Amino acid sequence: MLARISNTKALHWLGRQLLNRDNPAAWLDPLAETINPMWVQEYTPARVERIVAETLDTKTFVLTPAKRWAGFKAGQHVNICTDVNGIRRTRTFSLSSSPLLWESQGQITLTIKRLPGGLITNWLHDSLEEGDVIGLTEAFGDFLIPEPAKPLLYIAGGSGITPILSQLETMAAEDYRAPVTLLYFVRTQNDVIAREALTALAERWPALTLYIIATDEDQAPRYLKDSDLESVAGLKARQVYLCGPKGLMDLANDLLDKRGVKESQIHSTFFAPPAQAQLDRGQLGGEVTFTRSDLNVGSEGDACLLEIAEAAGLKPQHGCRMGICHQCSCRKTSGTVVNRLTGKVSGPGEETVQLCVSVPQGAVVLDV
Amino acid sequence: MKKLNDDQLNELQKDLDAIRDEVLADLGERDANYIRKIIRLHRTLEIGGRVMMPFGFIPPVFVAATASLGIAKILENMEIGHNVMHGQYDWMNDPSLNSQTYEWDTACSSDSWRRTHNYEHHTYTNIIGKDRDYGYAVLRLSDEERWKPRHSLQFINYVLLSTLFQWGVGLHELETEKLTRREIRLRDKIPFLKDFARKGGRQAFKDYVFFPLLTLPVAPIVLAGNVGANLIRNLWASTVIFCGHFTQDAETFSEEECEGESKGHWYLRQLTGSSNFTGGKWLHVLSGHLSYQVEHHVFPDLPAHRYPEISEKVQAVCKKHDIPYNTGTFAKQYGTVLSRIARYSLPDSLRTRLEGKRELQAI
Repeated sequence: MLARISNTKALHWLGRQLLNRDNPAAWLDPLAETINPMWVQEYTPARVERIVAETLDTKTFVLTPAKRWAGFKAGQHVNICTDVNGIRRTRTFSLSSSPLLWESQGQITLTIKRLPGGLITNWLHDSLEEGDVIGLTEAFGDFLIPEPAKPLLYIAGGSGITPILSQLETMAAEDYRAPVTLLYFVRTQNDVIAREALTALAERWPALTLYIIATDEDQAPRYLKDSDLESVAGLKARQVYLCGPKGLMDLANDLLDKRGVKESQIHSTFFAPPAQAQLDRGQLGGEVTFTRSDLNVGSEGDACLLEIAEAAGLKPQHGCRMGICHQCSCRKTSGTVVNRLTGKVSGPGEETVQLCVSVPQGAVVLDV
Repeated sequence: MKKLNDDQLNELQKDLDAIRDEVLADLGERDANYIRKIIRLHRTLEIGGRVMMPFGFIPPVFVAATASLGIAKILENMEIGHNVMHGQYDWMNDPSLNSQTYEWDTACSSDSWRRTHNYEHHTYTNIIGKDRDYGYAVLRLSDEERWKPRHSLQFINYVLLSTLFQWGVGLHELETEKLTRREIRLRDKIPFLKDFARKGGRQAFKDYVFFPLLTLPVAPIVLAGNVGANLIRNLWASTVIFCGHFTQDAETFSEEECEGESKGHWYLRQLTGSSNFTGGKWLHVLSGHLSYQVEHHVFPDLPAHRYPEISEKVQAVCKKHDIPYNTGTFAKQYGTVLSRIARYSLPDSLRTRLEGKRELQAI
């Protein structure tokens, strides 16, 4: 009901006047959440319907988002948000199901691998249960199936298969006519995600040629090599989609370049696990991007973000310059900062930081 | 003011930082649950008050509705809004509890509050001439400000300020005293006045136009109840805030002694310039835990419901450094506030003579 209210401009204006907030529909969220978490308005709530174990360290979460969610295109990602120990955490994952599942049954799936030391992937694996509700943003990303149909080569590694699963399911259902080859690299045969779905696809959809290659089963590692590409018919005419760990993507780019595949034909996507930052004065400093001001500056040593901004000619709102008044708090959209006062290292994702006591550690992007 | 040398100030800073670090390391679900519980209570009371108000032609319902809405406003302003804007819950990364975007249910815009309160008041606490919250430029509360004849009637100003507190706070940044002294021009205050008109207008529209008109046949009752709820909040907020810095033993400072001060000196000033009052759990909640004003001023960005827990540790630090810890019952502390307003309304010669007499009597 509230969603409908916020859709009407006049009522939205009235809501802002009465409730002093830009998203008046979310005013009742704290109460709604305790009655039925699917009523929350601030984000799109999604209920966990089922959790399916894919491999030892990978699970697929079948979710039912609230009806107002706008859907997605195969290959896109969503941010999920959830509170872990009182802190709202946001992470990006690829949708592994086809949009057809959302359109027909109102469900989507996320296939998520447990990252060693990863706060959220481990929480999702260990604490999220069927019936729980997590938050979703709208889908985004431009890793999309080409239109009109073109011959394709997918090179995937590990959990990098997830957006490709969504695309393959979609193409099979639409009877995509151009040839599609998938080179899927896994550590061992036990690490194959969605093996049944993949083999079933290859059987019923003749355009697909599927290779599953285990890298770590023999004594010498078996990585992507030139002969793999040689066996792909009409390689030079194919669009190439890469999704996997950095090592595989670098190797693939290199080999493709040697075979004369143009950079414009190559599309890649992957979310690297967050780097474990270390507190070391030598590592402080980095490139700071102020997105709203469209400005990019470098920094060295323990200069704080406020000083860096001011040196660059910006005048961000600030107060005490000693970490007390929070006048200078603003959104960091990515990058790691170290708190000058406590030495505490921030997470890599989007969060609020105090400019006057935060020192960049590597590249940082600020909404300033 | 209690004097400490640089080493002692550094030691004081270390001791207080240790308390702060301990709380920061422990922040988590408990704090999130607490503030969300208070928010749920606020929503329930506000909805309850608004729904009951049209039935206010039944006297007990009128009382219940007005009290419900008044307490809702108190909770929202003091335990939620004020504390959220201090950044106490920024670590939760919840956009609706973000210090820089939160907008509260009072005439003062959050942007103006963050400038005048978070920055000016909390940085320059009780420095006469720099902390404009000290007396709000309408009350003389220390002999560091010269007596003028207009001060003799300041008790009336105090009652007016308390009654219209949200409008006083809303207009605080206008700096009328500087305008009359011609230190600043009204032209420079136009952006502020625009903001004030927008926010104040929005608040007045809601409570004094929209909800009465919505329930037209009983509009006068709803209007009266809404005025009553705002009045309850105004009087309570003003009283709590006055108890925080204007009690008998809360110290004031000069600009010279604070020039280029260290963090340790800033801590010392917060400890000696603030005062607490004691009471039951709900008195603390309804004061937004500003009953722990000392703890709040030392750690303005720690979640306020933690202040009762760290109070003993702060007291131990005060004892160790032989710094007075100013506390007492609510009645006693408020009594000294009223007495201070009354005493400093007198010329110094008269005041000291009366105070001298009282001291003699006490002996």
